[in-house]
Amino acid sequence: MKLSVLFIVVVGLVAGGCGRDSSSGSRDISTPTTIAVKANGTITVAAAASLTEAFTKIGSDFKHTNPNVTARFNFGSSGTLATQIQQGAPADTFASADEDNMKRSTAANLTDGRPVIFAKNKLVIVTKPGNPKKVKTLADLVDLDVVSLCGDTVPCGKYSAQILQTAGVKIPETKITRAQDVKAALAAVTTGDADAAIVYTTDAKSAGNSVEAVMIPDAQNATATYPIVTLAASGNKAASRAFIAYVTSSKGQATLRSYGFLPPS
Amino acid sequence: MSLVAHVVAHVGSLDLDAAVEVDEGETVAILGPNGAGKTTLLRALAGLVPLEAGRVTLDGVVLDDGARVFVAPEGRPIGVVFQDYLLFPHLSVLENVAFGLRSHGIRRAAARNTATIALERVGLADLVDMKPRELSGGQAQRVALARATASEPRLLLLDEPLAALDQSARGTTRRDLRAHLATFSGIRLLVTHDPLDAAALADRLVILEQGRVIQTGSFADVSAHPRSNYVAELVGVNLLRGLGHGDHLELPSGAMVVVPGAGSGEALAVIHPRSIALHIQPPAGSPRNVAAGSVESIESLGDRVRVRIAGSVPLIAEITPAARRDLDLGAGTPVWTSFKATDVTVFPV
Amino acid sequence: MLFALVGFAFIALPLIGLIQQVSWGSLWTDLRTPEATAALRLSVICSLWATALSVLFGVPLAFVLARVTFPGRSIARALVLLPLVVPPVVGGVGLFYAFGREGLVGQYLYDWFDIQLTFSTAGAVMAETFVAMPFLVITVEAALRSMDRRYEDAAATLGARPMTIARRVTLPLIAPGLVAGAALAWARALGEFGATITFAGNIQGRTQTTPLAVYLLLQSKPDVAIGLSIVLLAVCVAVLALLRDRWLGFR
Repeated sequence: MKLSVLFIVVVGLVAGGCGRDSSSGSRDISTPTTIAVKANGTITVAAAASLTEAFTKIGSDFKHTNPNVTARFNFGSSGTLATQIQQGAPADTFASADEDNMKRSTAANLTDGRPVIFAKNKLVIVTKPGNPKKVKTLADLVDLDVVSLCGDTVPCGKYSAQILQTAGVKIPETKITRAQDVKAALAAVTTGDADAAIVYTTDAKSAGNSVEAVMIPDAQNATATYPIVTLAASGNKAASRAFIAYVTSSKGQATLRSYGFLPPS
Repeated sequence: MSLVAHVVAHVGSLDLDAAVEVDEGETVAILGPNGAGKTTLLRALAGLVPLEAGRVTLDGVVLDDGARVFVAPEGRPIGVVFQDYLLFPHLSVLENVAFGLRSHGIRRAAARNTATIALERVGLADLVDMKPRELSGGQAQRVALARATASEPRLLLLDEPLAALDQSARGTTRRDLRAHLATFSGIRLLVTHDPLDAAALADRLVILEQGRVIQTGSFADVSAHPRSNYVAELVGVNLLRGLGHGDHLELPSGAMVVVPGAGSGEALAVIHPRSIALHIQPPAGSPRNVAAGSVESIESLGDRVRVRIAGSVPLIAEITPAARRDLDLGAGTPVWTSFKATDVTVFPV
Repeated sequence: MLFALVGFAFIALPLIGLIQQVSWGSLWTDLRTPEATAALRLSVICSLWATALSVLFGVPLAFVLARVTFPGRSIARALVLLPLVVPPVVGGVGLFYAFGREGLVGQYLYDWFDIQLTFSTAGAVMAETFVAMPFLVITVEAALRSMDRRYEDAAATLGARPMTIARRVTLPLIAPGLVAGAALAWARALGEFGATITFAGNIQGRTQTTPLAVYLLLQSKPDVAIGLSIVLLAVCVAVLALLRDRWLGFR
C-alpha cells in the first residue's frame, strides 16, 4: 500500500518536472490532444464569479477527457483574484471577467504567454420575480429604493458604471448597495430586499425563476470580455494549458454557450 | 400589641417549626447554635421566607398564614438589621438611612431630614457623606440600626447584630446597642448565638435547637433551670451584675468579687459553673473569691449535678454525682464557694 | 513554552503586519476621504445605537435568565447566546428571513407600516445588535448571579418595591458588569461585518460601516482600508484597557 502511494507521488513529481521542462523548452505546444495525453495532476483555476456555473460544468467534462487532471476552482471577483495572484496565491490558471484585471497580471509578468479571449457576456437588469416595481429601462432604476451593483473596482461594477453613463442615468450613491462580486450583487435580489441589480445575462439565466430579467438595449449595453491565461508561477503548466485548450475547444465553447455566454468573436 | 408567630418552613436540611411571642417594649433573643434555624425564623418574620404552615400576626394583623395571606416584605411594618449590616455600598450613609423613607414615598428633602435626625440619635451625624466601606464595624452597625428604625417600624428584627465585630469593639458596641434598643418603642426581636449578647440585650430568651423551641424564659430562669445539657452548656453560666471598681466588682448585696479589669460603671461578670468549687469548711489557697452560702436546690443533668447556692454571691456550681455524695449535699446544707479571679470574664453593659 | 510562544506570535504577528503597513504620513488625509469619514461616522452611530438597544433589551433579558425559573430556561439561554458562535453571515440570512420584506415579521412591517429594514441604517443597527447583545446578556447575567442578593432582601424590608429595588439597588450593584458588557457589545458591534453585509447591504453612508468599507476599499484604496483598520484596532485596544481598569478597580 505504502509503496504504491509513494510510486504515485514520484510519478506525479516527475511528470510535474517534465511539464516545467517542456514549457521552458518550447513556447508553442502542439495540439490539445497531445497535451491531454501528457498532462496530469491537479490545477487550481482562479475564475471570475460569473463563470461559477459554466466552469463547474466544464471542470467535470474536462475530467472525462483528461482523467489524470483535476481542476479545482477559486471563484471570486476578478479584482480580488488578480490581487491574490499578485500576492502569490497558488493558482495555475486565471480566467478574468475583464481585460483590465488581466492586464494587471500580464504587466506584472505573472502570466505565461498571452491571454486568450474565450467568451463574452452582456449585462442585464434583474428584479424580483414578477417585476413588482415595473422596471422597464435603466432610467427606472433611479426611482427604486435599493439597487445592487458590484463594487466599482470589480469588472461587473465597471461595466455597470459604463452602462449607466452611456444611458445618462445617475443613481444616488445612497441607493446603491455595493457587492463584492457579481454573485453577491445577484444575491441581494434573490435573498435580499434589493429591488434590482445589474448583472451578467449568464447570472440572470442561472438564477432561473428567482429573478426576472429586464434587457438592456445594445446601444446602452456593455460587453464583458473574458480572457484566460496560464500563470507563470504555475507548477503544472501542461495541465493548465490542457484546461485552456478544453475551454477554447468546440466542446467547451458549446458548454459556455449553453450558460448564455457569447462567442469570443 | 404584640408579635405572635408560629413558623413552619423547610430550607435545605433545616426543618423549622417554632412559635415565638413578643410583647410591645420587650426585647426577645432567639438563642441557638449555628444551623438551628434562627436566621430562617427571622427571615420568615420579615417575609423573606414564606411560611409553609403556621401564622405570623403583628398587632393583630395576619402577615402570613402559609396559605391565603402573604404580605410581601415591602408591605410589612418592619425594620431589619442584617448580620453583616448589608449597607448599600453605592449609597452614602445618609442615603442608606433615607432609603426606607424614600421607598415609603416620602419626598427627598424630608427623607434626608428624618435620616439626619436618625443618625444624630445614634451619634453619627458627622458621617452622613461617607460611604459604607469607610466606616468601622461599630459605626456600620449603628448606621444599619438607624436605617432599620428610621421609618419607625412596629417590629425591629436584628440578626446577629454583634457577630461581625471584632472582640475589642464588641463591648462598647453592645452597650451602645442596648441603649439604642431602649429608645425603640416597638417590638424587638434579635437573633444571636452568643449567650452574652442575649444576656446583655434581651429581657427574655427563646432557645432554638434544630428548628424547635426547647425553652423560653428570662436569662436567670433559663440558666438556673436549663432543660437540656445543650442549654446548660449554652446559657448555664453564672452572671453577676454589679458596679466595677478597677480590680473588683461590687454586687447589689454589697459583696465584692475580685476580678481583673472590672473597669468602672455597670458591668457583668461571667463565671462558668464548672469553675466554682464547693467546700464544707472555709477553704484556704489561691482562689481569691470565697463566700459562704447554703444549698438552695440540686438538679441532676445526666453525668453532672447543678447546685444552686443562695447567699451574698448567688452562684450555680456544677459538680460530679460522686462529689455530691462525698459532700453529702442536700437542700439547706451550708457550703463555701470559691473560684479563681482568672476564671471570671467581665464586660461592661 | 515553545508552543506558548508560537501561539503568542500567531496572534501578535497579524497585528504587527497591519501596523507596519500603515502609511502614517498620509493616515490623516486617508481618514479624511469621503468613504472613510462616511464609514466612520456611520460606524459610530450604528454601534452606539446597537449598544443602547442591547442594554435596553439585554438587561431585562439577563434579569429573566438569571432570576426567573421557567421550563426551558436553559434552552432559552442557549438560544440567546447562539449569536456568539453562529457565523454572522448565517445570522444575516436569518435576519433577512425574519425581518426582510418577505420575512416572518418583516412582511407585516412592510405591508402595514411600509417599513423596510433591509438595506437601511436601521437594518445595520439590527444586524449589529443581533451579534452584540449576547455579550451584554452573558456579562450582566453573570454579574446578577454573582451579586449578593441579600442586598435586595434588605431593600425589600425597607419597603422598596421590586422595580425600585432593581433601579436603586440591583442595577448600581451590577454596574461594573453592565459597563463591561456594554463595552464588549459596543466593540463587537463596531467590528460587525457578516450579518451587516448580508442583511443590510453595503450602501455608502447608509449601511457601509467601517469593516465593510475596509473590505471594499482594500482593492481600490488599500491605504484608506488600512487606515480604517488601524482605527478599529485602536478602539478595541482602548476597550480592553478600559475593561482591565474596571476589573482591577472593582475586585
